[in-house]
Amino acid sequence: MKHGQQGYSKTDKGGQRKKGGKRGKVGPWPRLQKFWDIRAACNFIGGGTGAGLLLVAGFYALQGLDNTPLVIAGFLSISFGLFMVFLEIGRPWRSINLFFHPQTSWMTREGIVAIPLYVSMALSVFFAGQFIGVLASISAALLAGLFLYCQMRILHAARGIPAWRHVAIKPYMLITGMTEGLALALCISVTSAHTALVPILALLLFMRLGFWLRYAHQLRIDGAPEASCNKVDDLFIWTMVGNLLPVVLLVADWWLEVEAIVVLAGLIAAFSGWYTKAIVVTKAAQTRGFRLPRTPVRGQGQSRVVGQSGFRQNQ
Amino acid sequence: MTRYVMVADLRRCVGCQTCTAACKQANATLPGVQWRRVLDIEVGEFPDVSRVFLPTGCQHCGDPPCEEVCPTTATYQRDDGSVQIDHDLCIGCGYCALACPYEARYIVDEAEFAYGMEPMPNEAARFDEGKIGVAQKCTFCIDVVDAGIAKGLKPGVHPEATPACVNACISGALTFGDKDDPNSPVSKLLAKVEHFRMHEDLGTDPGFYYIWDKKPEDLM
Amino acid sequence: MPDTRLLPTYCYNCVAGPDLMKVKVEDGVATEVQPNCDAAGIHPANGRVCVKAYGHVQKVYNPGRIKTPMKRTNPKKGRNEDPGFVPISWDEALDTITQKLSKVKQQGLKDEAGLPRVAVSFGHGGTPASYMGTLPAFLASWGPIDFSFGSGQGVKCVHSEHLYGEYWHRGFTVCADTVNTNYVVSFGANLDSSGGPCATWRHAAARARGCKRVQVEPHLSVTGGTSAEWVPIKPKTDMAFMFAMLHVMLFENARTALDLPFLKDRTAAPYLVGPEGYYLRHPESGKPLIWDLLSATAVAHDTPDIDAAIDGTFEVIKAYEQGPDDERFEYQMVKGNTSFTEMNDIISNYTPEWAQSVCDVPASTIRRVASEFLQHACVGETVEVDGETLPFRPVAIALGKTVNNGWGAYQCCWARTVMATLVGALEVPGGTIGTTVRLNRPLGNRLASVKPGEDGFMAASLNPTDRDNWHDIPVGRNAHSTLVPLLGNNGAWSQALGPSHLAWMFLDDAPEGWERNSYPDIWFIYRSNPAISFWDSNQMTEIVAKMPFTVAFAYTPDETNHMADILLPDATDFESTQLIQIGGTKFVEQVWKHQGVALRQAVVEPQHEARDMSWIATELAKRNGLLRQFNQALNKGAGGISLKGEGYDFSLDVDQEHSPDAVWDAACKAATSFFSKGKEVHDLQWFKEHGFYVVPYKREDWYLYPTMVKQNLRFELPYQERLIRVGEELKRRMHEKGSHWWDLQLTEYEAIPSWHDVPTHYEKALVNMGGKPEDFPFWGITTKSAQYAAGSNISIQLMDDVGRNVRGHGSIILNAGVAKQMGIERGDRIEIRSLVGTTSGRAEPVQGIRPDTICIPGQFDAWATPYAKDLDFPSLNTIMPLSIELTDGTGSGADLVRVSIRRLEAVA
Repeated sequence: MKHGQQGYSKTDKGGQRKKGGKRGKVGPWPRLQKFWDIRAACNFIGGGTGAGLLLVAGFYALQGLDNTPLVIAGFLSISFGLFMVFLEIGRPWRSINLFFHPQTSWMTREGIVAIPLYVSMALSVFFAGQFIGVLASISAALLAGLFLYCQMRILHAARGIPAWRHVAIKPYMLITGMTEGLALALCISVTSAHTALVPILALLLFMRLGFWLRYAHQLRIDGAPEASCNKVDDLFIWTMVGNLLPVVLLVADWWLEVEAIVVLAGLIAAFSGWYTKAIVVTKAAQTRGFRLPRTPVRGQGQSRVVGQSGFRQNQ
Repeated sequence: MTRYVMVADLRRCVGCQTCTAACKQANATLPGVQWRRVLDIEVGEFPDVSRVFLPTGCQHCGDPPCEEVCPTTATYQRDDGSVQIDHDLCIGCGYCALACPYEARYIVDEAEFAYGMEPMPNEAARFDEGKIGVAQKCTFCIDVVDAGIAKGLKPGVHPEATPACVNACISGALTFGDKDDPNSPVSKLLAKVEHFRMHEDLGTDPGFYYIWDKKPEDLM
Repeated sequence: MPDTRLLPTYCYNCVAGPDLMKVKVEDGVATEVQPNCDAAGIHPANGRVCVKAYGHVQKVYNPGRIKTPMKRTNPKKGRNEDPGFVPISWDEALDTITQKLSKVKQQGLKDEAGLPRVAVSFGHGGTPASYMGTLPAFLASWGPIDFSFGSGQGVKCVHSEHLYGEYWHRGFTVCADTVNTNYVVSFGANLDSSGGPCATWRHAAARARGCKRVQVEPHLSVTGGTSAEWVPIKPKTDMAFMFAMLHVMLFENARTALDLPFLKDRTAAPYLVGPEGYYLRHPESGKPLIWDLLSATAVAHDTPDIDAAIDGTFEVIKAYEQGPDDERFEYQMVKGNTSFTEMNDIISNYTPEWAQSVCDVPASTIRRVASEFLQHACVGETVEVDGETLPFRPVAIALGKTVNNGWGAYQCCWARTVMATLVGALEVPGGTIGTTVRLNRPLGNRLASVKPGEDGFMAASLNPTDRDNWHDIPVGRNAHSTLVPLLGNNGAWSQALGPSHLAWMFLDDAPEGWERNSYPDIWFIYRSNPAISFWDSNQMTEIVAKMPFTVAFAYTPDETNHMADILLPDATDFESTQLIQIGGTKFVEQVWKHQGVALRQAVVEPQHEARDMSWIATELAKRNGLLRQFNQALNKGAGGISLKGEGYDFSLDVDQEHSPDAVWDAACKAATSFFSKGKEVHDLQWFKEHGFYVVPYKREDWYLYPTMVKQNLRFELPYQERLIRVGEELKRRMHEKGSHWWDLQLTEYEAIPSWHDVPTHYEKALVNMGGKPEDFPFWGITTKSAQYAAGSNISIQLMDDVGRNVRGHGSIILNAGVAKQMGIERGDRIEIRSLVGTTSGRAEPVQGIRPDTICIPGQFDAWATPYAKDLDFPSLNTIMPLSIELTDGTGSGADLVRVSIRRLEAVA
């Protein structure tokens, strides 16, 4: 999986020795990180969607609705994400070590939150329809929210990747997780869905689109690597379609009342979020590169002022 | 307190990669893994062009983003300011490598040697299975530094207490030592020169200083 | 815990060495190269070695090595023929060679054409001598050997600098006195890539203390990068830049800006030149005349207490000129210009504005550089060195390859050296200095090689050009003593520096009126790969394939030994033992304050069946009945140090066979006795622990100036009277022989060099070869790589690993603007085509190269060498024509070719 630099390691396509063709890029310019691939992206996909599902499940529990399918879906979704991470890490049988650094590591915190989250999900399903089950569902929803927050902070803490480090990615990550979860919840419980879900989904889709466009805009303004900005910009049509088409479909369903249309809208809404996250993690994740503020004075003459690194967003 | 730092004199460096090669042998890193390397950077447009050779690697940050994100505490900071990895704790999640703005970290999941899957005797003699599947990076040759100190030697002054890249450098561009010691080679050097650090805006407090000129008063 | 030892040894991969290092050996396995910190303060780079030295470890264990002696089973030779090498024993290999040598002995050591039947080729710059142990003793014991077949010398070395540098100031290689200089104009001298640790260290320190270097070159090399300023000049127009600098110094500044005493007393500037272009000579003594301003008369150059006129035309009552072939031109009342005035007359044509139109460099830049050079020269200042007061002139001019070899190089070497004389900055502290001698005796001792010669100059050992003594029949296949008077005939070095490509070319075909070369019966090749390290690799490969019997000392299979009959796996640098001399002043920037000897020891056992070269040499001597002569040669110093000298005698019993260790033990003792003047004697074991032994070397001995003063000699500049006479004689001899094919080269013999339009010369040559200039709109050049230059390491993975950090590694460097226009992106595969071939590789668009130029670093295009053949790197060698027209008067050429660019495929 991950290899830093111009590794020759077998799976590092970028730096692999081969006859002709492109070499692994080396040099000062930003380049695509190779440490996290689609498996890591799946954690954000599964985790975000699962968290969204569990938030809806909590809402259902408060409404006295049957939320077991949603909790199970949330469980599967989050578990899928974590399993993919398990596949990605270099020493999976030491995974227990990831709980060692709650002081600062959002990855540890995510892991720690996952424990009561799993307990809550189990209790929610086991005691479905009972008071404990309702409490467990609410607990799971709150923890899922925390879990989603941790994921957002995980990306943001990666100071080496401007496209993740950017503050504008934070609301997007939260909203898309909720959107994906709610969209899937709508699909799963389409026959018995709470009526509020459709307008909330529409609202979330608008918000998601807004946050995405803001993110894309700010990323370029703040001087993120060109390739990152381009990858993000390439998603423009995709995100327009992925956010507006479901809204159109939901509006259309207002009159048509065909369940399949809602399911289609939900799937599009979820899938567009997944795809976008996959691209952000695996394709738009350029490193910052190296840029000199000044050139050295060799013997005599003037230093050339080059200017600081292009990426200005540093919160 | 002690804060070990590296100083690279960009006026001197020629980008020859002697430090890169010396580091690779001293630390027996696998092909493609370069804890120390020198970037070759072009600045300007023809015909007004500069070429700058920039030694880089782990910057042993005062506020290391890798250490902050590491979920296992495998990455840790010593009292001497150096940032180290406990390879027995690391799970190889790669998060630290993404947090590092200096592209200083490597993970090799499967060892491939200089001429294929079979190690040569020199590679077999130094191969460390413990570094497979986990993060790795420059250690400031801390074992050498520690051993040198134990013998009463001064890091950055005595070769036996100094990182391999510094000893090997053929342009005298690299200097190592304790920045908190006003008598260390790095403190004395930095007092006389203009310098910058890479990506300081990220709040990393890097321990890698780049010299670009003399201090103006020296020009008088 | 493993048994870990740190063993001292040396690296002498390239001419920039030797450098001292240590090797970490763990349980008998070499794992790590380290600097030898014991040499701090002794070695100019404080005991550090460059990146190439770190490749030695992989060299030992490289699985691609030739593991046993091998013989060829497929008699057909060629690139597409499988040699069918099969392993054989050392006995069989050596017996086979011995049989061949015996046959040669029976037939006579020279063939019907008078050429040696045995030829030997060595690699880079004489450095193989530091690895071949006692092989020179075997060669000496054998007799005549042809060293004509080059593997790059002439075309790849700084050839004109070797010849003219040594002729003018005993500078076989020339450098700035970097540790003292303050201003260097460097025309393409890429010392930060190819100068090894010593040059790198010295120049880095110079930069840090404020020394300014202006780098004038078409491609921003590493050294261009580390310079204060880069001037992107059009390829091969450097002489125009330098002529214009001379113009500024001579016509735009007061004479007082020049070092007039130096010009008057230490150069031929005041010598009067007659109507025929030769010196006006004293009617009786024959000494060149100078005009004494005090007595207003012409006097012999060595007349004391005079004030010589530098500028002007003076009438001499009675004098004569000495022409070629003893022709004399007698005069009464004849006018003569001073040599200086002769120079001014020529240089007056070359204004900075004129140069701007030639070099594509603004006249203001040329003017400024010339002025800065003058300003930094400190004319009149002195400095104390070792108690002696010497002139202090901290300005220097450095020349790089392609500037100081091939057409135009004579002019560049001349202009550089003359500029130094104008400000008195030749062979003085801070100035331009030579570092070693190879064409004069004693080898390697510059100061001792200075002896008074004719006309107040140093004695020169030119090859004869007079009717009686000219070598009308070449003594070797490159005809060095026939065609190139400046080379002299002082053994292997003189011969190896002949027009070595002619040796190859004339095997196939010779020009009209010239004998085709015979093939040598046996060709030995060591540490060299001419099939791809020369020019026109395809043609070279075909010629190499025709060698009747080739014995290759072989590390890996490669493109040359693919055609060999016997492969002998010699031990690598870490597996064998040798003692060499270090210190004093040597090639490039090996300028020490110490001298002595260093041991290369077998830090590990030889891998597989590899053998120490000294063992191989001893076996060859023994099997060929030459043991006595072999031992005698060793006693005389063929192993690098004479075993018998004043106060010591460690001579070997000439009738006994001696192990390599016994030989080197004697050498260690002899060397320490010699350098300590008998006070210390250290044996091999001592050296295995300590690595080297040195004694102080006087800094004053870095400079030739004190010797010139002591012997009251003048530098033979600016006027080249002797050379025009020699050139005319050579022309006559060639014509008498019916040969006119060297006429173009003979035009180089000019007393004051004039502008030679080299770019147009190349274009004309292209047309003469059948090409159209418009089809090849770019200049192709090359640049050295610090990781590879002369390292014999293209199969070493570590070099590729670290080389990837360097811009242009394994790529074709072209201007980013041009690339954009052509739709070429970084990493795209492009093809570079010349009239003789194509090479292809990945594009590296950069800002630091002229739009009319492309640059291909290093020498690759390997198709047989393991690892390297899979790199698929391009090489300029493949597309460089072998051409007499592109061969200059010294017999060298330059790495320059007209090319086109074509995009092959986009980045995946």
